[in-house]
Amino acid sequence: MSLDLTLRLIEAVGATAAGSTVLLPVDGPDDVETAARWAEATGNTVLTVQSEVVEIYRGRVADPIDALSPDRRPGHRLWIYTNFHCNLACDYCCVESSPKARRRIIDIDEFTGIIDEAAAAGVAELYLTGGEPFMLIDLDERLQLASATLPTTVLTNAMQWQGERRRRLDALPREGLTFQISLDSATAGLHDRHRGLGSFDRAVEGIGVALELGFHIRVAATLGADAGSTEHELRRLFDELGLEPYQRLVRRIARQGAANAGLTMSRASLIPEVCVTADGVWWHPVAAIDPTMKVSDHWAPLRTTIETIRDEYRSHRIANDVLASTFPCA
Amino acid sequence: MTDRQDILVGAVAYSANVVPIWEAIRAYFADSAAPMDFVLFSNYERQVDALLAGHIDIAWNTNVAWIRTLRRTGGTARALATRDTDLVFTSIMVSRAGSRLDGLESLRGKRVAMGSRDSGQARILPLHFLRRIGITESDMDLVIFDSDVGKHGDTGRSDLDALRAVIDGDADAAAIGVNVWDALRAGGDAAVADLSVVWESEPYSHCNFSVLGTLATSRTDPWVEHLLAMDWEVPEQRRILELEGLTAWKPPNLDGYRSLAAAMDEQRISDQW
Repeated sequence: MSLDLTLRLIEAVGATAAGSTVLLPVDGPDDVETAARWAEATGNTVLTVQSEVVEIYRGRVADPIDALSPDRRPGHRLWIYTNFHCNLACDYCCVESSPKARRRIIDIDEFTGIIDEAAAAGVAELYLTGGEPFMLIDLDERLQLASATLPTTVLTNAMQWQGERRRRLDALPREGLTFQISLDSATAGLHDRHRGLGSFDRAVEGIGVALELGFHIRVAATLGADAGSTEHELRRLFDELGLEPYQRLVRRIARQGAANAGLTMSRASLIPEVCVTADGVWWHPVAAIDPTMKVSDHWAPLRTTIETIRDEYRSHRIANDVLASTFPCA
Repeated sequence: MTDRQDILVGAVAYSANVVPIWEAIRAYFADSAAPMDFVLFSNYERQVDALLAGHIDIAWNTNVAWIRTLRRTGGTARALATRDTDLVFTSIMVSRAGSRLDGLESLRGKRVAMGSRDSGQARILPLHFLRRIGITESDMDLVIFDSDVGKHGDTGRSDLDALRAVIDGDADAAAIGVNVWDALRAGGDAAVADLSVVWESEPYSHCNFSVLGTLATSRTDPWVEHLLAMDWEVPEQRRILELEGLTAWKPPNLDGYRSLAAAMDEQRISDQW
């Protein structure tokens, strides 16, 4: 059977244009092994293996991950949902966080394990989010640990930095730590409509506190369909706050979680950013409660988890490229 | 965009990959001292005609097309470069394992499958080497597959048809090019365990880039220099090399065409179509 298979490989792949794929029936693991060996020796690539068929790509596949800038490669950045409960209940929250949300806290021991493995696995930066991370009483300890290991950004609504909490905030390190503060509009009306009454003023106050205490900050806005032309005003506010371009992030609402409208996304259409929650590992933090975006039930070992996600991303990208070449417009 | 002064290379469209191969080669030459463009032909006879008519500067020729070019130019044509694999090309006779066939002499009186009549490796040279030891076509039962006439065996189609005849029990042995044998062996030992090599020819030269003797070396030298610099270790260049079936471009070995020239003489194969 091996000879017959090899003949069929030569005929089928030989007639296939570079960059295209061909499906070849196989009969068991020996055939798959023969096909893989033949493809490697002849400069071709086995793309997928299903029960009774292998998909062979004509030529060698360039690694799609190499085409990404280093900071966008899956595994460069690791997201950790420290918890899911929040002092706000934003109507577009991608993970449906609220004061009533099930907390799903990653305990400190597990958090430490994730950080240690992240550093060993080549992760270059950490992003902590929730929920509102500052709802955790031990967040100080976590931020000390994380920022001492890798550059760390924590996402926050910056609404709780008064009194004793401001004193504890002041004790946090400045180096290796950035606060990414949510601010959705230049005026209270639009911001508060989605995030809750009074939240705008307290967020602006929080930005002021962070800047006054000398922290690195980034301000992130999430815009819905009702944002209209307010983005222009928002950018003017960013100017007034003295924010450099790298300190500004403006994005659209994703149709995830509590949002009933917005950008749609799937694993095939989204460059993954590895995301760990108490419930498992997810393709991207914007979809950390979407069952279709769940990668595994547990993050460990993290290096393997990252590689699994990178492999799936490669498959999606290569399949998309093949599809694009299969349906030329002219 | 290419310039009208660019070197124009002709190649035959023997497979779906000829376009990506030559687009990649053209891109490789784009920033060199000898930028080029290419045109594709449906068969080698059209391509040789175009070279002689001055419509193209360089023809990527098979060994059969080279001999025809050489003869139709009174021996003044030049060969510029070749694949490393072209310098050690061979023809192979294979049978089913256990057939007890061994060497060309054992094929006397046997059913021998051969490829297209214009294929140097699968027909012309095997017949020549058989004739050298006194075995003519009338001494065998030839099973002929003229599957890809005009492509000079480049498609490998007629080699595979001949091989199928052996596997299906319709022939005792098949003449194939070493490139097809290597492709079979790439599947591992198990892939060729049912086959046995009856004979392998002496090495001969295969394809080359051919030009008319009137084309100035000042035009061809920079092109050849850049061609020979193509590097297997550079991924984008390796893609070209793998698709075209070589690891490095080399200067040609003209002595390697003597056996084919003799074969075409004795088989009275036309210098034209």
